[in-house]
Amino acid sequence: MHKDLEDVKKTFQRDAGSVVVLKDAEFLKTKYLGRKGIISELMKVIPQLPQDQRALYGKEVNTLKCEITHFLDDMIGKVSSVASPETKKEIFDITLPGKHISIGKKHPLTQTIDEIKEVFARLGFEVTYGPEVETEHYNFEALNIPSDHPSRTDFDTFYIKNDVLLRSQTSTVQIRVMEKQQPPIRIIAPGRVYRPDTVDARHSFMFHQVEGLLVDENVSFADLKGILNQFIKTYFGKNVQTRFRPSFFPFTEPSAEVDISCSICKGKGCSVCSYSGWVEILGAGMVDPNVFKHVHYDAEKYTGFAFGMGIERITMMKYNINDIRLFYENDMRFLSQF
Amino acid sequence: MKISYNWLKEYIYFYLSPQELADKLTNVGLVVADINPVDDDFCIEIEVTSNRPDCLGIIGIAREVGAIVGGDLHSPKTNLAHPTAENIKRVHVEVEEPILCPQYTALLINNITIEPSPDWMQKRLKCVGLRPVNNIVDITNFVMMETGQPLHAFDFDTLADQKILVRRALSGEEIVTINGARRALFQNMLVIADGKKPIAIAGIMGGKDTEVSESTRNILLECAQFEPRQVRRTSKELGIASDSSYRFERGTDPEGVNSASQRTAHLIRELAGGKIAGSIIDIRSARHEKKKITLRIEMLCKVLGVEIKVGVAVDILKRLQFVILNVVDNFIDVEVPSFRGDIYREIDLVEEIARVYGYDNIPTKTSIQVQSSLKNRYEIVEDCIHQSLIGLGFYEAKTFSIVDTSPLQSINLWDDKDGIDIANPLRHEESRLRTCLLPSLLQAKKYNMNHGVDQVRIFEIAKVYLAGNEKLPLEKTCLSAIADVDFYNLKGVVEALLSNLGIAAECEWIPYETSRSILLFKTGKVAQIKWDGNILGYLGESCESEFKPPPCMMELDMDLLMEKSNFIKKYKNLSLYPPVFRDLAIIVNEAYLWSDIQRCIKYTKINFLREINFFDVYRGKQIPAGKKSIAFNLCFQSPDRTLSSEEVDVELQAIIDSLQRTLNAELRKI
Repeated sequence: MHKDLEDVKKTFQRDAGSVVVLKDAEFLKTKYLGRKGIISELMKVIPQLPQDQRALYGKEVNTLKCEITHFLDDMIGKVSSVASPETKKEIFDITLPGKHISIGKKHPLTQTIDEIKEVFARLGFEVTYGPEVETEHYNFEALNIPSDHPSRTDFDTFYIKNDVLLRSQTSTVQIRVMEKQQPPIRIIAPGRVYRPDTVDARHSFMFHQVEGLLVDENVSFADLKGILNQFIKTYFGKNVQTRFRPSFFPFTEPSAEVDISCSICKGKGCSVCSYSGWVEILGAGMVDPNVFKHVHYDAEKYTGFAFGMGIERITMMKYNINDIRLFYENDMRFLSQF
Repeated sequence: MKISYNWLKEYIYFYLSPQELADKLTNVGLVVADINPVDDDFCIEIEVTSNRPDCLGIIGIAREVGAIVGGDLHSPKTNLAHPTAENIKRVHVEVEEPILCPQYTALLINNITIEPSPDWMQKRLKCVGLRPVNNIVDITNFVMMETGQPLHAFDFDTLADQKILVRRALSGEEIVTINGARRALFQNMLVIADGKKPIAIAGIMGGKDTEVSESTRNILLECAQFEPRQVRRTSKELGIASDSSYRFERGTDPEGVNSASQRTAHLIRELAGGKIAGSIIDIRSARHEKKKITLRIEMLCKVLGVEIKVGVAVDILKRLQFVILNVVDNFIDVEVPSFRGDIYREIDLVEEIARVYGYDNIPTKTSIQVQSSLKNRYEIVEDCIHQSLIGLGFYEAKTFSIVDTSPLQSINLWDDKDGIDIANPLRHEESRLRTCLLPSLLQAKKYNMNHGVDQVRIFEIAKVYLAGNEKLPLEKTCLSAIADVDFYNLKGVVEALLSNLGIAAECEWIPYETSRSILLFKTGKVAQIKWDGNILGYLGESCESEFKPPPCMMELDMDLLMEKSNFIKKYKNLSLYPPVFRDLAIIVNEAYLWSDIQRCIKYTKINFLREINFFDVYRGKQIPAGKKSIAFNLCFQSPDRTLSSEEVDVELQAIIDSLQRTLNAELRKI
């Protein structure tokens, strides 16, 4: 294309971009297509051109004229429907709110469980469930918590009758799975658990846990750290620091509690983390050989690790929820926030 | 347990600030919950896990610090006290229950002077949260805090027959404990008795009558071991917990009794001017046998996933005061110190090494064997239900599984049995496992109404607990919902849900009413839903009068949905030929239901009828009383050709004839 024509085309494109109302478009029409407009100025050049260039140049000017005409007509059609305030016509008000259509949501606790399930599913863990009403065998004995043992103090329990109780932790599912299945095992078990705690902002007699278990040959504490780190980085973010510190659970040895750096104060110390910079997020450990004995696994051949976490706690941290009771009140104003 | 920073320093040298000390202790498993300045000292509060009673004395904590920083422990001063009194009074001690009391020592100390304990001791006790009483009581508390071994001093002159008998309580016996409470005792409880009556609940609390008072001159110092489970049972039964029972139920050092007694005697002689009368009476039924364990380095490395050298392992074990008996190749034979009752297996040594070695120093392995996992059927069905109901505008709720015993909460739609009661409920409001989810959802509806939210649309997937003949109840998973919509709306929800679950066959909707259902549903506006002979659930309008208009609700058997759902899909050819539609309105008696009309049409053999779609029922001016007009749309289609209008008319007439004949229907012009 001729250099002059190209320049005109560019200028026009710039001008066209700033058209808002009808007046703007009409102004451009005059500027480019009017009797003394730019196009007719371009036409006037033709006679002065060398003979052999005239035909091509003329053709190009015509094409440009057509383009501009089309474009402006189109544009005038569009902008003229944006009426000016004085119009008397009935207007379709596109700014009125949409008709209310309700779409529901999963309970925030279910969302947390789903997210945890998803991370572990990618690591090859399958979801398993177990009964909530259990025997002492599954809730205590098989988990290496003998009767009259002080460690039972940590597991106050609702009883139905002698030997029948409401599970106080989802670890019961570990035993149920291992009784039925030989290694390798990779499961997680979410569910409701019950403890006779008086209800307040931080406690509830019913809450949710997710239990995890991996058993195979040559599984080590280093693997436990690896998997749980993977989970924490995926779930809580890559920049989160983790801390494994020794603890005690009757069904694991060595046992660990896992803390993450406090997301509120970034480890500096605040009321959420009791000024320690760390928030406890899960309990874990290598499966105690006594547990393997109960399910007739060879503790010389197999090792494994187990972990458990409280869903309410994680959800409260995630959304900055300050009262656990909100989860069970089912106030629509609460449920619709997540 | 609370310890004093300065006190700790008496047993081990370390150069750590309270905060540095707290971090180190936390990293070996002694979580420091709090540090508080007290005068020129710090009170450090440590959460001691139930397996570590050896850390319930400051010396035990000092041992852990020693393991962390290295260095030797300084044992507290004890001058062996030889008998010094001239007139040795005789005291007779007998242990009737050697299993429950493996060791009982008694030491008589004469001519003591009761006065306040010295300032330095009071300061120590106050720092760890104990209230100073007098020198004797304070000394026993001081030694308990120091060693972890509880002690008790009796006023010797109050003991009947100068006798101590460790026996079970007799039926009808009681005791007033030092806190002034009168307790009835039972025969399964172990007591310390004098010649006449119980003077202490063994290992838990002493009696008021024999406690050390201002006028006490001679004391009998008890230092003993009691069987942990016995102490725990009695403490729970009586509802008394003390610093003493806390330690005994976790297990005290079986080799620690005599030294604690001597240490106490030493301090009493020094601070209360007493004279030891006679040698210590020590009744011991069994010697403590030192446990010997072999640690395989191979096992250590296998469990931890890190190479730890023999020398490193030996060093850590030594620092923790294990006696190294032998090191051959990669095997370490150790003898466990008596205060570590929690350690009896190889894995226990692995943990000891791991925690001192440092969890931070164990690598974080990221190679894990690939394994695929699939969703199970429950998850698939649950996902489908979630998606369907959420798409239809429902929010998921979670309500408590434990409810009260009111008639409403006692509703059971699934069988005739009552709910299962909790034997030890905290409150009446949570004392029974529920048999129905709907009362809880009604509560949620009420809660919302009371908080100004009128429109509720919630569902819950949870269990109901049905008593059966098995030891454990049947846990039936139910899907329940409540919504501020009318009956047909919620019925539409059920139908949409079933369709999404691939449950194709039609349900029967059967009028339902029982003495229990009328507590939930409005009479005449409730249906039992049956599917293929199985009860799928219930749907109806709430009978609660406070809701205007009343919400509708449903409870479905989720286990059945799971069993019958079908996600296998097969493509059906789309018909190439156009459907022909005809609307029909008929006037019938009120008694005839839509299902009667449907059935009548179905039984009329019609070749090309594909669908019947209800669209309206009308009662009003042009319709005689006792009758109603029902309008519906009929869709005709052939899979292999275009139907002619005449063909359809013939079929339509057949339908009309059949309706007239069977239901006495009258055609209404529309």
